[in-house]
Amino acid sequence: MAIAAAPHGGGIADHIHPEPQSFVRRYVFSIDHKIIGIQYIITGFVFFVLAGLLAETIRIQLMHANGGFVSPQTYNEVYSIHGSTMVWLVVIPLLTGGFGNLVFPLQIGARDVAFPWLNMLSYWIFPIAGLMLFSSFLMGAPTAGWTEYPPISLEGQAGTSMWAAAIFLVGVSSTLTGINFVVTIMKMRAPGMTFTRMPLFCWGQFATAPLLMIATTALAAALAALFMERQFGVPFFDPTKGGSPVLWQHMFWFYSHPAVYIMILPAFGIVSEVLPTFSRKPIFGYKLIAFSSMAIALAGFMVWAHHMFTSGLAPYLQLPFMVITFVIAVPTGIKIFSWTATLWGGKIHYTTAMLFAMGFLVLFTLGGITGIFLAAIPFDLHLHGTYFVVAHFHYVLVGGSLMGIFSGMYYWFPKMSGRLLSEKLGKWHFWLFFIGFNGTFLPMHWLGLEGMPRWVSTYDPQFQFWNQFASISSFVMTAGILLFFANILYSIRFGKVAGANPWGARTLEWQIPSPPHYYNFKHIPTVYGLPYDFSQPLPYRGLEDELNDTPPPVAAGAH
Amino acid sequence: MAVASITQGGHDSHGEIDQLYIETRELRLQGFLLFLVSDCVLFSSFIFAYLYLRNSGQGWPPAGINRLDVAFAAVNSVVLFGSGATMHYALENWKHGNFMKFAWMLIFTIVLGVGFLCGQGYEYTNLIFHDHVSWWGSGIFGASFFTLTGMHGFHVFVGVCYLTVLLLQSAGGVYTKDKYFGLTAGTLYWHFVDVIWVVLFSIFYLL
Ligand SMILES: [Cu+2]
Repeated sequence: MAIAAAPHGGGIADHIHPEPQSFVRRYVFSIDHKIIGIQYIITGFVFFVLAGLLAETIRIQLMHANGGFVSPQTYNEVYSIHGSTMVWLVVIPLLTGGFGNLVFPLQIGARDVAFPWLNMLSYWIFPIAGLMLFSSFLMGAPTAGWTEYPPISLEGQAGTSMWAAAIFLVGVSSTLTGINFVVTIMKMRAPGMTFTRMPLFCWGQFATAPLLMIATTALAAALAALFMERQFGVPFFDPTKGGSPVLWQHMFWFYSHPAVYIMILPAFGIVSEVLPTFSRKPIFGYKLIAFSSMAIALAGFMVWAHHMFTSGLAPYLQLPFMVITFVIAVPTGIKIFSWTATLWGGKIHYTTAMLFAMGFLVLFTLGGITGIFLAAIPFDLHLHGTYFVVAHFHYVLVGGSLMGIFSGMYYWFPKMSGRLLSEKLGKWHFWLFFIGFNGTFLPMHWLGLEGMPRWVSTYDPQFQFWNQFASISSFVMTAGILLFFANILYSIRFGKVAGANPWGARTLEWQIPSPPHYYNFKHIPTVYGLPYDFSQPLPYRGLEDELNDTPPPVAAGAH
Repeated sequence: MAVASITQGGHDSHGEIDQLYIETRELRLQGFLLFLVSDCVLFSSFIFAYLYLRNSGQGWPPAGINRLDVAFAAVNSVVLFGSGATMHYALENWKHGNFMKFAWMLIFTIVLGVGFLCGQGYEYTNLIFHDHVSWWGSGIFGASFFTLTGMHGFHVFVGVCYLTVLLLQSAGGVYTKDKYFGLTAGTLYWHFVDVIWVVLFSIFYLL
């Protein structure tokens, strides 16, 4: 199937485009997947800073039971945009457009993605949509949280329509990326790179891309309907005109449950690369990890209504959603066991990337367990709308996805830039972040159990101690993040030169120079086995010239 | 899988069209099919919304609104399905090198497509001005009917434009007997629009 295999046919694998010379074509409107990946990463982190400022606004407001830092209205706007930004402008773009673009075409031995121009278009939609989202502050931002349930979102301020349009656009960008990635992985693997020899990061992307393609389109429909209802009065969700607010919840969660897998499967992929590399051991249960990702992606479409146990669904409808949600925990648990078994007896190198991957294991497991709690209908009825839910999803999204992103940054930064990030600053970043994170979100479990509600700008004074504790911890977490940015700014100029393979890793991207040439490989290598067998020689042939000065054979694909 | 195709790939490369074209065509075909899949999800979501609202216990059609006119829509559907058939023959003729026949079939397709749009326009005018049913003022009936059929009509409109471009391109010599991916994509898109209409016709007029 992989068509890149023709030996002398002058196909895509032999086709090297001339390197663009102007600055604009190289770094701004680039069609090189590596540059686009870096563009996504930079833009994603810019939005991350903005979302972080909003988060700190929330934490400062909650220092005192009576609030007082911002008005209740502003508070609602702030947490709505914080959530929307983190989901759509930070975690999803960083993991798919960012690390996906940067790493997986190298790992499968391709010269680029299937549709480089489409890739450029996907990227450029993203910052525009982000600016639109933040411009909603100017006209009165949405106030119903990132889920924007009607009827509140129907009555919300003018910016709510802008929010819908912005998220719709990000969705278009995601859908195009999804199509691009599926085709690339299906059709452009190097000779010998069968599906069961593909690195696990690629499996993560391969499980995610169809979700981007299918689930995101369902969200687009919901957003379009909301937009039409708000702007033109076309009734879909307004119960006084025969519409149904619960319809929005169905359409929204049909996307947004798969979206949690969009936000975690690529992070699974990252730790599946980092853990074996720094344990110097083959990954345990390669096929289990690969196939469980696919199982999770598929089953992820059948559980959306577990977010709606308090929305008045018939009990006979609720029950299957609860059971299937429990079932999804099985493939996830299989992964956790496989990663732990990979560490077992390994020769562990405690690099910063490894620390973040191990932190991921701990925090994601905690978040996963509270997820199982919340999937149980009786438990959810009790805790829906409390801080317990906030604690749960921050453990999976920050403790899971974001820790995965940081791990990936420390791991692949040398490949992007040619220089290593400072390990010393990195360890400070990790410990401040890890301690600060737990200090912020662990107390929310018992705050929720005691009944503290979400979405309100003031609260009962009995909760004040732990809220202050959480706020102060969040400053510690922020300090860690600031060190991370300082580390990047410092290391990009003064960091140690990395060389091709500073970690002794075995996947293909580490067998070529850092940063790679624009054409990636001088000759497309042939693959003979899994990349994780640390006791064996590398399973590739045809890489002899990659690290010397021979020029690439340009003429082969000329037409 | 990849190893097996080394021999296959080499086999084709000595034909009239080059390896780069074969591979690019395969990528585009798959990409285009995936685009149609996600477009299909977009329609499915709105169809789900329509069926969900319709079954939310208000009776259908809602009080004060007449059933849609099946007879007229059926005739209009035949026009659209006919255009699907002519599009099929257009592509077949191209493959066999009958370029004149191809051009006529494609022109028929475009004319039938425009005919369908006119029919839809007539139906809309009737509903809006005669029956006083509107997109925003007739509850979930107007909302779902005009949104879904409007989306479909927009797809037909885009298709008509696309087919016109293809007609001009093929007249201008953009495609050859062996390299005609644009025509394949146009045909696939047109069939897709047909299939969507089968579903919409069933759920709005027959159900
Ligand atoms: Cu869910």
